[in-house]
Amino acid sequence: MMPAVMSETEETKYGSFLDIDLFARFFTYAKPYKGWIVVALLLLPISTVAQMVQPLIIKQAVDQHLVPQDLTGFNLLALYYAGLVAMQFFISYLQSVINSLLGQRVVRDIRRDLFNKLTAMDAQFFATNASGRLTNRITNDTEAVSNMVSSGLINLVSDILLLIGIAISMVILSPKLSLIALACMPIILICTILITRHMRLVQRKSRVVQAKMAGHLTEQVEGHEVLRLFNCQEQNRTEFDKMNSSYYQTVLKSNFLEAFQFSFIEASSVVVVALLFLYGAGLNPEDGVTVGVMVAFIDYLRRIFFPIRDLSGKFTTMQAAMTALERIFALLDTPPTITTPTKSETPKVYNGKINFNNVHFDYGKGPILKGVDCQINAGERVAVVGPTGAGKTSLIKLLNRTYDAQQGSIEINNLAVDRYPLQQLRKMVGMVQQETFLFAGTIMENIRLNDSKISSQDAMEAAKQSGAATFIEQLPLQYETVLSERGSNLSAGERQLIGITRMFAFKPEILVMDEATSSVDTISETLIQNALEKLQKNRTAIIIAHRLSTILNSDRILVLAQGEIKESGSHTELLAKDGLYAKLYALQFNDKTQAKMA
Amino acid sequence: MSNKIPWAVRLQHLLPFYRRHAFSFAIGFVLLTATAITTAAIPYVLKLAIDTLTAQQSQTAISNFALALIALAILNAFMRVKARTHIFGIGRQVEYELRKVYHNKLLELDSPFFDGERTGDLVARGNNDVTAVRMFIGPGFLQITNTVLAYAVTLPIMIGLDPMLTLVIMAPFPVALIAARYLTRILYRLSRKVADKFGEMSSFVQETVAGVAVIRAHAQENNWRNRFNQESQELYQAHLDHTRLQSLFSPLVILSGGAGSLILLYYGGGHVASGDLTVGDFVAFSGYLAVLVWPTVGLGWILTVMQRGLAALERIGRILDTDPFIKSSNDKIQQKNKNRLHGSIKIKGLSFGFDDSTTDKPVLNNIDMDIANGSFIGLVGRVGSGKSVLLNCLARLYPTPKGCITIAGKEIMEIPESQLRENLIMAPQESFLFSTTIRENIQIGVKGENDEQQAWRAAQQAVFDKEIEEFPEQIDTVVGERGITLSGGQRQRAALARALAVDPAILLLDDIFSSVDANTEAKILENLRDVAKGRTIIMVCHRVAALHNADHIYLLDDGEINAQGRHEELLQNSELYRNLHSNMAKEEALAQLSEAS
Repeated sequence: MMPAVMSETEETKYGSFLDIDLFARFFTYAKPYKGWIVVALLLLPISTVAQMVQPLIIKQAVDQHLVPQDLTGFNLLALYYAGLVAMQFFISYLQSVINSLLGQRVVRDIRRDLFNKLTAMDAQFFATNASGRLTNRITNDTEAVSNMVSSGLINLVSDILLLIGIAISMVILSPKLSLIALACMPIILICTILITRHMRLVQRKSRVVQAKMAGHLTEQVEGHEVLRLFNCQEQNRTEFDKMNSSYYQTVLKSNFLEAFQFSFIEASSVVVVALLFLYGAGLNPEDGVTVGVMVAFIDYLRRIFFPIRDLSGKFTTMQAAMTALERIFALLDTPPTITTPTKSETPKVYNGKINFNNVHFDYGKGPILKGVDCQINAGERVAVVGPTGAGKTSLIKLLNRTYDAQQGSIEINNLAVDRYPLQQLRKMVGMVQQETFLFAGTIMENIRLNDSKISSQDAMEAAKQSGAATFIEQLPLQYETVLSERGSNLSAGERQLIGITRMFAFKPEILVMDEATSSVDTISETLIQNALEKLQKNRTAIIIAHRLSTILNSDRILVLAQGEIKESGSHTELLAKDGLYAKLYALQFNDKTQAKMA
Repeated sequence: MSNKIPWAVRLQHLLPFYRRHAFSFAIGFVLLTATAITTAAIPYVLKLAIDTLTAQQSQTAISNFALALIALAILNAFMRVKARTHIFGIGRQVEYELRKVYHNKLLELDSPFFDGERTGDLVARGNNDVTAVRMFIGPGFLQITNTVLAYAVTLPIMIGLDPMLTLVIMAPFPVALIAARYLTRILYRLSRKVADKFGEMSSFVQETVAGVAVIRAHAQENNWRNRFNQESQELYQAHLDHTRLQSLFSPLVILSGGAGSLILLYYGGGHVASGDLTVGDFVAFSGYLAVLVWPTVGLGWILTVMQRGLAALERIGRILDTDPFIKSSNDKIQQKNKNRLHGSIKIKGLSFGFDDSTTDKPVLNNIDMDIANGSFIGLVGRVGSGKSVLLNCLARLYPTPKGCITIAGKEIMEIPESQLRENLIMAPQESFLFSTTIRENIQIGVKGENDEQQAWRAAQQAVFDKEIEEFPEQIDTVVGERGITLSGGQRQRAALARALAVDPAILLLDDIFSSVDANTEAKILENLRDVAKGRTIIMVCHRVAALHNADHIYLLDDGEINAQGRHEELLQNSELYRNLHSNMAKEEALAQLSEAS
């Protein structure tokens, strides 16, 4: 069941350079844009030819006009040249735009699918996959793919075409000279690739150290209080300095390699030209090595190094993209375990009745619920008490299919929860958690959750009912107040009130809540209590109770222990029964408090 | 952006770095000059070779020129590598120094500073901004010097060959420079927008993952998908806007180079045909064009980079110029005072408020306390009564007025930092755990030799040992960012163990049981009895049992001491205390009910 999407070492893993299956699947994303691809491919030979021909024109000019000092027809030649330069300008601009357009569109589509997948996955999946990694799939991995498309794939073809084109031109101009020039190329290409490879490795290492430093800095800022209290600034300083020095050493190395790569290519082109002179000087005029040919060769050699430099970087781009694609597809291939059944049903009556029939559940680490049987009547208010780990939270999470039970069934309105369309079920069951998660955005957005069916009016009405309106309307921007991440600019009580307001706005038929006790100040506490009181009216409610008042106000108490319901009944009934509940109640509440509560 | 500040003023920030590395810069300059000269010499030798070839003169002359070319190429490459590594090296050196200085500054600054800053910003200063400054110093110096030298060396040669042709051929260059400068400026803005949009999309995804349970529970998946598509579309649009301009950049180089070549061909060709120029001159000119294109375009680019560097330097400078609020006396002078402090604390008329507080009312108002060495003090009060603030003041996380707090008879603000921290330890309510092993987290305050068992003993005292044994790597298990792999109660006990691992005279505990169950709490309290021997403990309590143990309890309300005394006395005398106590009792009763079954 556990999706094996991510391995521990994934971030350092290398993909294969070319994986046909991955490629084929990738092209399904490129398919909708095949028109653009065709245009890009058509432009390729044109731009290659434009580059190939320019030195030939120079050669022609030198041999036909400059050396013989004869200018007839020279203007036309210059005009051709001007045309070629302009053409190259436009084509290279077009290519660049089309390449990134393609890259961005493909990536946008991949992102859409990834996000759809993420939002379709269930709790089990998120429990086993680190959130940072999941975010990375959509952000960095897709960026790597985009790099491949916009600077990799088509350029790869264009670089190769250009290399071939130049080679052909040189051979046509002078087979003998080109022999020398072309013999040097593989050596230079291989050397460049080796240097670039080494360079990328060092750069990768420096990025790792850099990320470590950033992590260190983040922790240092977040934990500045601890560092001060425990007087470990010195230790911290040494640690950071170690990273900082190691970064310095690494980047010096990469600086050298970069400079070396750059200079190596520059020097190579000059050396090849010199070799041509050495060799060419020994040739006879009959060999066709004119001054113009020489000039053209110098020009070609200047041009040939652009694709070489470009190609040497391609391997790493492609490799990174392949690895990213592998991870992206692995995530896309992970099926969600909880889905709407193919033949969903809707209940015949909506009364809010709930049945647990012999429910067994575990998270894969030993049983949590061991055969829970109970019936909750329409409109009944049930308090669930029990020790930590008794399965209270699991019990309520099964209701809206956050998880599915392994055995037994849960029915709402006499229809098993896994027969419902998932969305309908979840809208029907309203959950208030111990802590309300708030999104960055306005209070209004957080109440409505951007649901188009809930108007601003509805949301404000809901806030009035919950009592949240009191504090919201005191804020300068009221409902348009922007909440920071996780609503940290509100108090715990205020956050909770917004969570309850959501319930008033969404109007679920069944209310399920994990009652929060800690970190709420007294004023909010009263407000929350009142709000919940109102919310529970005319609704079936299941409450994991932490407060005595909640227990006393409920219609029935379920005592859950060791994954089973041990006792069930009203407060007085359970006391009369003199079982587990009664014993503990008597033990814990002395006469004074009991008198006060009663 | 601080565009209003004149360049010269902003450059002053950099002067110390330039001054410190003046000699290195001089060497860099020499190396660059050598590179520029050899670079310019290559087309000239080429010209000579071509002219020889045209004149169909001696083979040996051509061979000599060819050999000279090879020698020049190698020399040029050597010089170039030297120059680049040297100058970039200076940039890296400055980056290293600046990062170190910045990091040390952050270590020096205290809570009042951090309260007003966002983590992300401070981290960005240390990463992106330091990098931007490095770009100013290394590549900035190199590019500008390089451009100047390229022109200084190449132009005279070209003018020497043909002044008129030089003038004509260079005509497209100023246009290229201005275009490059203009383009990079807009590109910078557009790439910022891409980065912003990318950041927005990342945060959106992060938040979706974090809040996916809420989205699921309210069946809002489609809604969120639509919003994501909108975010994604905006990023796409930003990318496209950026691309449209970015794509102009390399064609621009092609065009300015190509235009130069065209002029050379048309105009220079005429001169060759008329005999004013040789074919070699023609080739040389074409070589010089290639030599000058990149420095020209690069100059436009580097000006933008340098502007960013200056802005970054200013942002860093603002933090480097900040002084810590708490200035304790110099540790080195006070070295001999490093002995143990007596754990008695006196607080007299302490009032305290935060600067950014919206109300004028102080958080703490006229607090008086007299705490004897070795006593166990309880602090109680409702949420927001000022308990944690009082502890923060006692731990000197915030500055307090002179004369208000004395420890062992010494003014708290004057105790040397190391002496204070050796004698006073606080376990905050939500203590930060570092993403390292449990052991390292516990031992963080232990100075000197690390005893293997020390962390373990502290874990035992904090009743954390049983759970640690169940972790995959026991005490050497890595806890993840902010201790994310631990439960709230485990994090609290790790933080407590961290405090207990040190042997302080005073121990401040801020509500360390809020996420710990009652049974465990009872055990910890039992252990604390041992720990308390010979030590002053001040503890914020939210639980009944802790109150029973206290020698003396202060009840805070609204920043003032509302009542004080032993538990029994307070039960009798204070209505507020009775209420608080009965609330706590009720809560715990239920918790106990749960656990006992």
